[in-house]
Amino acid sequence: METLLEITNLEKQLESLHIGPIELTVECGTITTLVGRNGSGKSTLLKLIMNLVKPDQGNIKLLNIFTHGPDESWKQFIAYQPQTVIGWDTFTGQTLKEFIAPLYRDWDEELFQKMVSLFEIPLNRRFHRLSQGMQQKLTIALTIPKNTPLLLLDEPTSFMDIPAKQLLMDLLVDWIDQGDRAIIMTSHQSSDIMKLSDYINVLKNGKLIANFEKETLFATYQRYWLTENPPAITIPGEVKRTANYLISSSPEQTERFLSTQQIKWTTQEALKIEEIITLLTV
Amino acid sequence: MELPIRLSKTSREPIYHQIENQLKTLIASGQLAEGDALPSIRALAKDLETSVITIRRTYQNLEYQGFIRTTQGKGTFVAAVDDTMKQQIKVSEVYQAIEHAVDIAISYEYTTEQIKEIFTEVIQEKGER
Repeated sequence: METLLEITNLEKQLESLHIGPIELTVECGTITTLVGRNGSGKSTLLKLIMNLVKPDQGNIKLLNIFTHGPDESWKQFIAYQPQTVIGWDTFTGQTLKEFIAPLYRDWDEELFQKMVSLFEIPLNRRFHRLSQGMQQKLTIALTIPKNTPLLLLDEPTSFMDIPAKQLLMDLLVDWIDQGDRAIIMTSHQSSDIMKLSDYINVLKNGKLIANFEKETLFATYQRYWLTENPPAITIPGEVKRTANYLISSSPEQTERFLSTQQIKWTTQEALKIEEIITLLTV
Repeated sequence: MELPIRLSKTSREPIYHQIENQLKTLIASGQLAEGDALPSIRALAKDLETSVITIRRTYQNLEYQGFIRTTQGKGTFVAAVDDTMKQQIKVSEVYQAIEHAVDIAISYEYTTEQIKEIFTEVIQEKGER
């Protein structure tokens, strides 16, 4: 598959956080989700990709063009929705659209109008007069129709109502199906992560500590409900235990050990995404 | 289109295989007929909360086995599946369900006679309806 984005050996020292070294490759047709606690470096990573923050070390290439070099043609190939936009407050949605649309040769006016009508966005009202949820709806309606190969979304649904979240998921599914495209998003919403992502990247204190294909992640972390207390020693693969269950990040090793010790379990199950993220990041 | 596929988080069967088997069952039972369109890989991944990698693998396996066909630019459709094949799937699904029930009984150390007894009782109860 075609590689859209390639990040190698990326590092950045911020005031209180060291980002990297980060290696990340994004291929066409995939959705990658960045998860991690507040302040773990997710948004900064997106800003580094957009060259809004300059890297200290390493390379970021979009369609083989360095995003921190003199050639700025890569900007045609990427659309970015920040968590908060600066400078839009006094403009109406209509004016903002007239600014933005001509800058993108593949601007999809039909899709923009469809989103405006689905989300019931009042285009004639100034940005700062809109609720946070409505601002978010307008911002994303001004982002997806840019139709760029790569779409970066920084917590796109955090303020949206439930029906809007559902509509957006369907829109994103249709959008990515229509071409050689990819999405990188950050999210704290488990439904976004579950329904949209193919790859889950976990950031902790600026470091990419895990990069999993979704099913691999769920197959890796398993819970065993035991019929008796496990021995006091640490069991191979064990990451957590309570009085009646054991969580393993290496199910094969754990099962082999439990079998040789003749410890039985009644149920084995995959963890929920919230539990896995908490185990990995706390 | 959404499909009545339910995945188990406690099954040892890999997710791609669960989806594959349930799609075969839908085809064998006639709920999905020849020529019916299947969801796109991305849409099914969203509905079932899996990655597209998993659905792609499922569709490839089903296509290889002749259950579905993909037409470039048009989508994925249910293929013509002959009745013998459909019968085989039904039989194997029933076998698997009974095997699973027997496994549970064995894990509780029931005897063959006890298992047969329960089995007969269940059939009689169903028959009375």
